[in-house]
Amino acid sequence: MKVIKVDPEKCTQCHSCDLWCGIEIGSLSKELNDAIHENPQPVPRVHVEGNNFPLHCRHCEVAPCIEACPNGTMRRDPTTGLVYVYEPTCIACWMCVMVCPFGIIAPSSSMHVAVKCDRCRNMEYPICVDVCPTKALVLEEREEGAAWYGYAPKRCY
Amino acid sequence: MGTLPSGVIDVAQGFSPAYPLRQMEISKPKDLPYKFICRLYHEKGEGKMDFVQRKTADTAVEHFLKEAAEKEIPLVWDRYEGSLPQCGFCETGLNCRDCLQGPCTSHPFRDQNKVGICGKDRDILGVHSFVRLVVQGVMGYFDQLADFAKGIETKEGLPKRKDQAVKVLKDYKNLMEKGNMDSIGKFSKALIDSWKAAGVYPEGIGRDLLKVSQKLDGGIGEVEDILLWGFKGAVAGCAAQMLQGRLKASVFGDTPPSDVEVNLGVIQKNTPNIVFYGHFSPLLKQKIAESAKGRKIGITGICTDIFVPPYRFAPVTNYGSQEIPLMTGAVDLIVAGDQCVNPSLAELAKIWKVEVVSTEALNRGDLSSFAKEIVGKAQEAYKARSEISKDIPDTKEAAVMGFSPKSINIGKVLGAMADGKIKGVAILAGCNNVKFTQDQEIVSIARELLKGDVFCVSEGCATVGLAKFGLLNPKQRDANCGRALSALLSSLGKNVPAVVDLGSCENSGVSDFLLATAEASKKSLRELPIVACFPEANRAKAVARATWTVAMGIPVYFWPFLPVTGSQKTVEALGKFCEEKFGAEFHVVTQKMETKAKAEMLTKALER
Repeated sequence: MKVIKVDPEKCTQCHSCDLWCGIEIGSLSKELNDAIHENPQPVPRVHVEGNNFPLHCRHCEVAPCIEACPNGTMRRDPTTGLVYVYEPTCIACWMCVMVCPFGIIAPSSSMHVAVKCDRCRNMEYPICVDVCPTKALVLEEREEGAAWYGYAPKRCY
Repeated sequence: MGTLPSGVIDVAQGFSPAYPLRQMEISKPKDLPYKFICRLYHEKGEGKMDFVQRKTADTAVEHFLKEAAEKEIPLVWDRYEGSLPQCGFCETGLNCRDCLQGPCTSHPFRDQNKVGICGKDRDILGVHSFVRLVVQGVMGYFDQLADFAKGIETKEGLPKRKDQAVKVLKDYKNLMEKGNMDSIGKFSKALIDSWKAAGVYPEGIGRDLLKVSQKLDGGIGEVEDILLWGFKGAVAGCAAQMLQGRLKASVFGDTPPSDVEVNLGVIQKNTPNIVFYGHFSPLLKQKIAESAKGRKIGITGICTDIFVPPYRFAPVTNYGSQEIPLMTGAVDLIVAGDQCVNPSLAELAKIWKVEVVSTEALNRGDLSSFAKEIVGKAQEAYKARSEISKDIPDTKEAAVMGFSPKSINIGKVLGAMADGKIKGVAILAGCNNVKFTQDQEIVSIARELLKGDVFCVSEGCATVGLAKFGLLNPKQRDANCGRALSALLSSLGKNVPAVVDLGSCENSGVSDFLLATAEASKKSLRELPIVACFPEANRAKAVARATWTVAMGIPVYFWPFLPVTGSQKTVEALGKFCEEKFGAEFHVVTQKMETKAKAEMLTKALER
């Protein structure tokens, strides 16, 4: 499974990743100049935290958001192992928003769905990795536990 | 469920993601070195590799690209590729680093940092980034003028027409102190009144430039107000450019239309070669040409005013490929002025052991001895460089350049316009921009316009680009023009080419032409079918030029888009508000367009 590796030492907090995530993923027009003026405002899936750390979904092997989702909207892609939101069934209960340990999942108040980073699973390459000028973001293979996704031990939240 | 846009989610057909699959490959284009990656991620890319484009349309330049790639010499395109991805905040004007608390950005998609630390919102950021460009450009014009005027005042050059020179210098003093521009050009009373009403009429350097530059530092104002301050600076710049042109005419005499040759083939074989880069005092050019007289030294120019009567310096190439002449190995000495000179030349010059002399050095001494020193250095460099292999391509194109409103019968042009034979006048200006294939935009647009019977005038680097492709060669005139335009041009004179060049961007050829046209037609400029376009602009000076062209009442189309697009209010102010105040819009075009569509848009703008 390929995940985005973040090197905080290289991050300059330029916010290029969340700008371009908002354009490429969050917007309808996909063009810089049009996306800026879009209404509702596009929601970027990545967020640069105060101390130079771009926060992405870690696609946890035991994902609390999948556990917490009452109707199976939060799903895992069986081939790639990436966690994503199946938007048509989202009821905007924000359970996933509550349980995410990283605060990745954002409620989109305009669209009434939960939005989260799915590591650009429909694209060849995540946009944030593409645009990072200092290469603080790189795509890396994460080997361990790549085989099991079906089973997760019961946990209390 | 909320209001999901249609097409984003279709439950019946299953889940379709809100974003399409990008099928682009981010890999080096196959036919290197002639193409390069021009945009990394902007395109919607439906399987097309449309972000790869040709570097240049000029075959003489292409000749050297392979060599540069083999020897791993970085040229402008390589540096551009290296700077990708470019910052989206800067590109749209949503950033600021004017104070040390910053840098700040206004994030379009986040709610917490919508405004800068000092509270500048996106509209103020957008308009500031526009005004900043204008101020920088206008200062360029004032700098040239001040330099030239000082040379005359200290008697380093003797004017041909003394009375006229004295008068111009008086006007210059007047402009700097009081800002009066009534006597500078043939500005119509209506135009001056409209400027006074808008508050953009110059009031002396203190009010014009210094005040405008302080608008960027703080204070409270509406977008429209700050924009008008930018226009105020630009109008003063217009006066400065006009004075520079008039001072040049009084010192050296009028420039007649003359035959010149353009492109890399103009570099002379078997003689020392001096190349003038960028803008510096015409007096120094004259002095160098005088000292080189009779010594068999070739003098050429790039991004500079090529006419200093009686001398003229053939243009080697234009802005985009200014590094290429060094690669011929035949350039011995570079005289580098300011503004349009790429700092990369210093490093490249070392490879071919080319001497570089900067004209704007401190304590450079008097001009005559400096000029002699330059010529002496060129001769020495030629001897020292005898072992370096030379490769001068034969590519050159004949052209007629240096027209002025005096040498064109404007009455005939207006007559043809009134009869409906020609659709109007298009001003082609601007430099080269690495974001576009060099020369391709301007040449294709010019060809489309000429075919559609639009009278085209050009200036500066745009002229050189057009000349490379034969559009300034009178022999190729009829092949390029529509029938009615061809008839008009041949009635104007035998040596009038398809595109009429009105001189360098240092001089006010185009502004003079516009004012003369308004005077001859007895109409204001906003009523005439005239449009200006900057298809490959890059310098701050071009923004200033475009701004005062709008202030005169001529609609301007500008590519690439200005860094104001982050602020809808600024874009609207440049459009509607300018239309109200000056009768013309400053069009900031963000859509990607084919050159044909651009030419159509310009032709449509003529029907006002």
